[in-house]
Amino acid sequence: MTDTPTDLAIHARGLAKRFGPVQAVSRIDLDLAPGQALGLLGTNGAGKSTTLSLLMGLRAPDTGQALIFGHPAGSPAARRLSGATPQATDFPDQITPREILTYAAARYGTAPDISALIRDFGLNDLIDRRIAGFSGGQMRRVALALAFVGQPRLVFLDEPTSGLDSAAQDRFRIQARAYVAQGGALVLTSHHWDEIEAICDTIALIDRGEIVLSGRIDTIRAQTRITRLAFDLPPGRMPPPWLLATPDGARWQAETTDSDTTLRRMVTEGLPFANLTLHPLDLKDLIDRLQHKDSRP
Amino acid sequence: MTRHLSAETKLTLRILFRQPGFWVPTVLFPAMLYAFFGANSGGGAWASHAMASFAVYAVLGVGFFQFGVSVAQDRASPFATWQRSLPGPAGFLWLARILASVIFVAIAVALVVAVSLAMTDISLPAMAWARLAAVCLMATVAATIMGIALGSVASARAAVPLANLIYLPLAYLGGLWVPPMVMPGAINAISVWTPTRAMGELAWAAIEGRAWAAQDLGLLAAWTLAAAALVSVAQMRQRRALLPAKPLQSLKNPEGPRATH
Repeated sequence: MTDTPTDLAIHARGLAKRFGPVQAVSRIDLDLAPGQALGLLGTNGAGKSTTLSLLMGLRAPDTGQALIFGHPAGSPAARRLSGATPQATDFPDQITPREILTYAAARYGTAPDISALIRDFGLNDLIDRRIAGFSGGQMRRVALALAFVGQPRLVFLDEPTSGLDSAAQDRFRIQARAYVAQGGALVLTSHHWDEIEAICDTIALIDRGEIVLSGRIDTIRAQTRITRLAFDLPPGRMPPPWLLATPDGARWQAETTDSDTTLRRMVTEGLPFANLTLHPLDLKDLIDRLQHKDSRP
Repeated sequence: MTRHLSAETKLTLRILFRQPGFWVPTVLFPAMLYAFFGANSGGGAWASHAMASFAVYAVLGVGFFQFGVSVAQDRASPFATWQRSLPGPAGFLWLARILASVIFVAIAVALVVAVSLAMTDISLPAMAWARLAAVCLMATVAATIMGIALGSVASARAAVPLANLIYLPLAYLGGLWVPPMVMPGAINAISVWTPTRAMGELAWAAIEGRAWAAQDLGLLAAWTLAAAALVSVAQMRQRRALLPAKPLQSLKNPEGPRATH
């Protein structure tokens, strides 16, 4: 944590925004360094979109400040250094991806590398077609290309893959990781937990307008250290009570914070298990667990 | 900078020119009205007076009504929101809109002039045409900014009815349909303060070879500046504006809304 605000892609402190009687977000603190990907999580209405719009400078916070590489969010310098996906549903019908990419690049003061964008975002047969009649997934690909067209050092991707087929989703994950590996900073909101997990190294969970959990995914995981075991038992055979296993269809499931000891004990006691699998708790369950532990009545 | 402005203008023009259903009726309408109601007003001074009035009316219809007010529809769109997140001065978006407006107004006014040349015996010196063109240019900038102002403060649904409510009376009050000298005194007292009257007076002075009156130029500039001020206030307000949909969950927040200060 020796980074100064100027080094950080995002440095936000005490962001709060009220809409009439509704406190949309309060006390949002966020840091994001170059080469990091942050997953913003939260249910609908939790304050994700408001947080994004404050970080992008589309709205001014009531209190607090967000700095993008040291520049206030929304300032010309901050906008030059960042890119974002538009909500893909309402591109003007009359223009082609090439035209809109050229336009967006011009706003960054550059000419777009169209052939690279075609390759990276699968636009080959779309590039010169008018957007009228594009499917949701096709528009999404254009939207993704637009976030990266100005070679930003920070991108905001709001539900970037909804409507994409799985091949395009996979391609996007590879690209997003490559972008981060090259030093780009990335903010992602997604309903796909596996996508967050595949791309992001840190997460911030927003609930009722506040960040209730944030940190590196591996640190959070290390803190809980929960592993999930699944195995078969011969019909009629019950697992020992200490294992606290629950039936899951034909299989049994159990969770442990110390998989080595648990497994040794299962072997020592001669439990006739078969087809054993061990998985770390996935992100969704991990966060559910943490929220339950933290939830106040 | 110029790359940005030209990209902005190209995008605006492409979107518009590829919608013939939008621009063909838009540029035809003033010429059609003129052919029905203005071009048969006889010859001589009356004919050129009517032609100048309808040229200004074309400016108003295209600039104020079509270009300015459509801001209300665009404003709410996620695409426009994304455009605001891009680098570069936001003012270029308006400038591009005004430039596009000038181009479509030029077509609409040219059609009015073409009708007048075909249907009347108007003959004006080149200087009068040039000054009329200059008036139309000034009026287009003013009318478009006023329309943008209306589109910036009105909701997408309210903008068109409101614009009708404003622009038709403005055309009448400005003396574009009925010459000011036949207006009742009370109407004329209001008329002299309207931006359309100022546009009309400048246009009539142009075709009659009179000098432009400073008060008309000043009145038009004042309206334009007031509208531009309204646009910038609306822009600032928009950054702090209400979200369209309020999340219900937050309303059920058991802790209730918290004070931030």
